[in-house]
Amino acid sequence: MNRVLTCLFWLAIALVLTFITLPLAVVVAASLSPSSAVTFLPWEWTTVWYGDLLADRWLQPFLLSVKIATVVAGISGVLGVLAAYAVVYERIPGSTAIMAGLLSPLSVPQIVKGVAIVLFLSIIGLQSVLGTPALIAAHVVLALPFVTRMAATSLANFDGNLDRAAQSLGATKRQRLQHIVLPMIKPGVLSGVTFAFIISFNNIPLSVFLVRPGDTTLPIAVINYLEYSLDPVMAAVNVASMIFILAVIFLFEKIGGFSAQLHGGSK
Amino acid sequence: MSTIALAAPAAMPSAPARTSGYMVLAPSCLVLTIFFAMPMGTMIGMSFMDAQTLSPTLLNYQRFFSDGLSLAGLYRTAVMSILVAVCVTVLGYPVAYYLARSRSRWRALVFALALAPELAGVVLRTYGWLIILEDRGFINDMLMHLGVIASPLPLSKNLFAVVVGLTHVVLPFGILSLTTSIQGIDPNLERAAQMLGASRLSVIRHIILPLSVPGIVSSLLIAFTMAASAYATPALLGGARFKVLATMIYEQVLFYIDWGFAAVMAIALLIMMLAISFLGIRYETRRSARRSNREGGAS
Repeated sequence: MNRVLTCLFWLAIALVLTFITLPLAVVVAASLSPSSAVTFLPWEWTTVWYGDLLADRWLQPFLLSVKIATVVAGISGVLGVLAAYAVVYERIPGSTAIMAGLLSPLSVPQIVKGVAIVLFLSIIGLQSVLGTPALIAAHVVLALPFVTRMAATSLANFDGNLDRAAQSLGATKRQRLQHIVLPMIKPGVLSGVTFAFIISFNNIPLSVFLVRPGDTTLPIAVINYLEYSLDPVMAAVNVASMIFILAVIFLFEKIGGFSAQLHGGSK
Repeated sequence: MSTIALAAPAAMPSAPARTSGYMVLAPSCLVLTIFFAMPMGTMIGMSFMDAQTLSPTLLNYQRFFSDGLSLAGLYRTAVMSILVAVCVTVLGYPVAYYLARSRSRWRALVFALALAPELAGVVLRTYGWLIILEDRGFINDMLMHLGVIASPLPLSKNLFAVVVGLTHVVLPFGILSLTTSIQGIDPNLERAAQMLGASRLSVIRHIILPLSVPGIVSSLLIAFTMAASAYATPALLGGARFKVLATMIYEQVLFYIDWGFAAVMAIALLIMMLAISFLGIRYETRRSARRSNREGGAS
């Protein structure tokens, strides 16, 4: 009985892991498939589809997505740290309510935020900002609560005694912020910023309302193309963008992100 | 949802510090007011207005409840989200149990395999399922080659495809919440039961499952809310034949340009999500109240 159960347990895990990895494996296989129809198991392989990635059709949306994600990560990083600083470090009156307000966009589905923003811009007659400016604003609204929360958690968790010690040794507030507070919260803030970059880069539900012809982000270009063709170029685009995301994570990790945070210090 | 302990700062804030505190808060508040609060207000206002004349009306709501299409969309969204929630929790449970209890060196690999797809983005994974489930895709192609079926099985552009795709998208989150909950169960309870002669099955039935109910509930809720608000996966895997609220909202805004009605649909989706989160919060508060009662009674 126990043995049967153990076998079933391992079988279940194997099946679930197969389920999880199957579509990824299929996409990688399809991106190397020589035939233009995506069939099962390519017996020969080619990298010709990756050559197509440099065509304007994919390069333009990619560059726009990178630009938007970078700006969004920057803005939400700065604003999130400032807000967390005010609420957690300065403990301004009403901080609990203010924090709830800052995090409130999290409880609204993205597609609803998207509709709301596009209706608002149309009503006030600002359709002209659709495209890059609207995308940046909407992605900041999406990313800011996450960054604020991560920065606030870092600020709340760091050892206040260090700050107090510095103060009693005569450090000015500016010196303490620069040499103690900021370095201590750096890992948390960096992971927040990385997260902001990724959710902006991969975003669909907000972007789908705000792009306009000639101003399209990569995921939107991909889903528009997928509506009528499944050819292997798509697979190549998808694999390349996944590799790009992994590279971004690796880069931020090198600058001093997540693992430093796991080990509880900045250095 | 998120509780952030407000740590003691170095000094009591003085009056000028407070002013500067409000000043550094201003940019965030400004951005969220202009691009979140005002749009949400506009959307709610639009739902009570005629899109052409901008005169107040309840017609949009009336249409939502009398028009079979939108109620069908709401119903499909609910059915899809419930199925995804159940699939995620059932599939995630064994993996979560393994991750919570295993000391083996394979654990890190299983963890990476279970969570790495989250980095791949929704489009890549949905595209993978499209290739697999299409009429001329991986599964149908293989079955037809082998002569098992003569014509393709209807695996895509329906509820089945959307549930498969969304389960895949949401599964890592379900696994994470279940793992955390199972890790919180004292392993000694299982050992004790086994030493007293309980079979594996009864240990699972009488100890692990009941104690991990909070994790199961949170996995169901997370999966439901993520599925109900998903856009890209239902759009690509459901297509025109399986429309849910999210994809119908998109159509209303971009094809029919019926803002009032789009606003009503968005509000319906929002209310459904808030109701589910409310249930979750109520469950949590009741549970912690019960627990503190029990602890209070025992001591």
